[in-house]
Amino acid sequence: MSTTQRSPVTFAVTMLALLFLYLPLVVVVLFSFHATGALSFPFTGFSFRWYRDTFGSPTFSSALQNSAIVATSVAILTLVLGTMAAFGLSRCRPRLRAPLAALFFLPITLPGLFVGIALLVYFARLDVQLSLTTVMIAHFVFVFPYFMLVAMAALDRLDPALEEAASDLGASPWKVFRKVTLPQIWPILAGATALAFALSFDEFIITFFVIGPDSTLPMFIFSKLRRTVDPSINVVSTVLMATTLFLWAVAFVFALRAERGRTRRAGGVLGEATP
Amino acid sequence: MSSQNPLRLERITHRFGSVTALDDVSVEIADGELVTLLGPSGCGKTTLLRILAGFIRPSEGRVVLQDRDVTRVPPHKRPVNMVFQRSALFPHLDVRENVAFGLRIAGIPRREVSDRVADALRLVRLEGMESRRAHELSGGQMQRVALARALVNKPSVLLLDEPLAALDLKIRLEMEVELRRVHRETGATFVYVTHDQREALALSDRIVVLSEGRIEQIGSPDDIYHRPVSPFAARFVGDANVIPVHVRQLRGTLATIALAGHSLDVPCGPSVARGPAWLVLRPEIVSIDSRNGAGGELTGVVRDLAFRGTGYSYRIEVPDLPELVKAEIAATHGGPVAVGNEVTISWDPDACGLLTRNSESNDDYHQAVNESDERDEDAADD
Repeated sequence: MSTTQRSPVTFAVTMLALLFLYLPLVVVVLFSFHATGALSFPFTGFSFRWYRDTFGSPTFSSALQNSAIVATSVAILTLVLGTMAAFGLSRCRPRLRAPLAALFFLPITLPGLFVGIALLVYFARLDVQLSLTTVMIAHFVFVFPYFMLVAMAALDRLDPALEEAASDLGASPWKVFRKVTLPQIWPILAGATALAFALSFDEFIITFFVIGPDSTLPMFIFSKLRRTVDPSINVVSTVLMATTLFLWAVAFVFALRAERGRTRRAGGVLGEATP
Repeated sequence: MSSQNPLRLERITHRFGSVTALDDVSVEIADGELVTLLGPSGCGKTTLLRILAGFIRPSEGRVVLQDRDVTRVPPHKRPVNMVFQRSALFPHLDVRENVAFGLRIAGIPRREVSDRVADALRLVRLEGMESRRAHELSGGQMQRVALARALVNKPSVLLLDEPLAALDLKIRLEMEVELRRVHRETGATFVYVTHDQREALALSDRIVVLSEGRIEQIGSPDDIYHRPVSPFAARFVGDANVIPVHVRQLRGTLATIALAGHSLDVPCGPSVARGPAWLVLRPEIVSIDSRNGAGGELTGVVRDLAFRGTGYSYRIEVPDLPELVKAEIAATHGGPVAVGNEVTISWDPDACGLLTRNSESNDDYHQAVNESDERDEDAADD
């Protein structure tokens, strides 16, 4: 980086941009603690009443429960299938690898609207009743490429000599995976799983198309918005945001941990230059 | 560890696509022997080692270990262990757990594992390092751990894939001493891959010189150094002047050769025939004299001079010879001969070698030249 002059104008513009990004979030959180039903300034008093209200409401509880069930199932399914797919892909013939990887990653570029409609048509064609199961399938489709992206990157950075060494020391392929490969990539996989959970937990667009009669947290907010507008929406948003932020933080911590392991490992391997 | 039955590689051929990496290679290795597979990069030595370890199945041929054909046995079921070039220590395990890895997998009782791990670490002189991780070790220590991790399983053959190539020269020389000691103390069979001829000469009971997937020569270091069978072997192992000559006449063990317009008598083996031949002169048997009228075989001009500690290394241009003649002269009284001076060259006739040269083997010559250049580059990289 070149040395840049610290101009007060640049500083002011940066602060304004950050304010523009974060102020609405702060307002949402702030008014979830509002004493009255008003959603805008002036702030007239602090209370937990909307939290009590919201958590006491059976529709909210069931939406929260549904979201948790869906996100957990999606995270586990993605962890298992994604790890297997990434593992297979990282070891398949180089000629097949690039096109296969492209097919796996492509859904990231598709708009949620498109995926939602496509899945809805698909489920209708197959006569599948819309339910939480269809939501899980849809979320899995949506989340899977992100997981693959992270898992593939982790596997690609593994030194193949380590697996060879393990196998040379008598470990069967399964034991090589369990005792050498997994211990090195699990922080990344755990982080990617947290990410999968977070992505599923607050997914709205695709869910909207394939959910049927049930409700998830984002759907709950949406339906609330159409009826009474009061700070309970802020409460649900805050819950959603806190959960997601927490999971991203978890993912970040795991990634850091893996990165530290990697730098250590780089020290654990003799000079990079090979003749 | 001990078995009377040797390791046999029988007619191994291996192709990667259309490239033949190994071409009909057969080697027999005796119990307790330290055999080096020596050759430039791309000669097939690493492929051969990986075939021994089971990472590669050869296209043709058999690997026979203690009278058992293991050609199709996967690596984890072979009684061989490997030391990798870049150590490949498990970063998530400490030194003790790294060394114990093979024994734990084999289901050896805990008590025995800890005894054997302690013995192995004592053998490589790493007592007290048990709880360190790989990143807390120096390069030399990492290779010691890798050595202990392999030897602790008492393999019938220990495979070493250029284990010292990534180390600094000083550590490398220390590790050579260590490897010789460990080999003596364990009596294990070592198969050692290297592109460093100095290392091969220093360590081996026998050397297998490989070139382009074929065996060029098998023999003791002494054999290969003093009696190379090809210009390639002569140039690749140690330094050599390999000079094209013509055998005019054969009288018993004495050949009369034509060399740069001179006629000389040199001793020769029974395989030499009349016609084109190679004269092999190790630089250290060449002597030079700058006095006028000294009776040497050839006359030339000093073109390069380098101080080597124990003496001087000269390169001398001789008219009609394709390459400069290399000479290593011990430091003596009177100081070195300066560049540009004329000298006469002579050598101990009993120490030179004569090899038959096929008429088409000019290629051979150039290959040998190129390979030796490549080796110099490798050495420079290290």
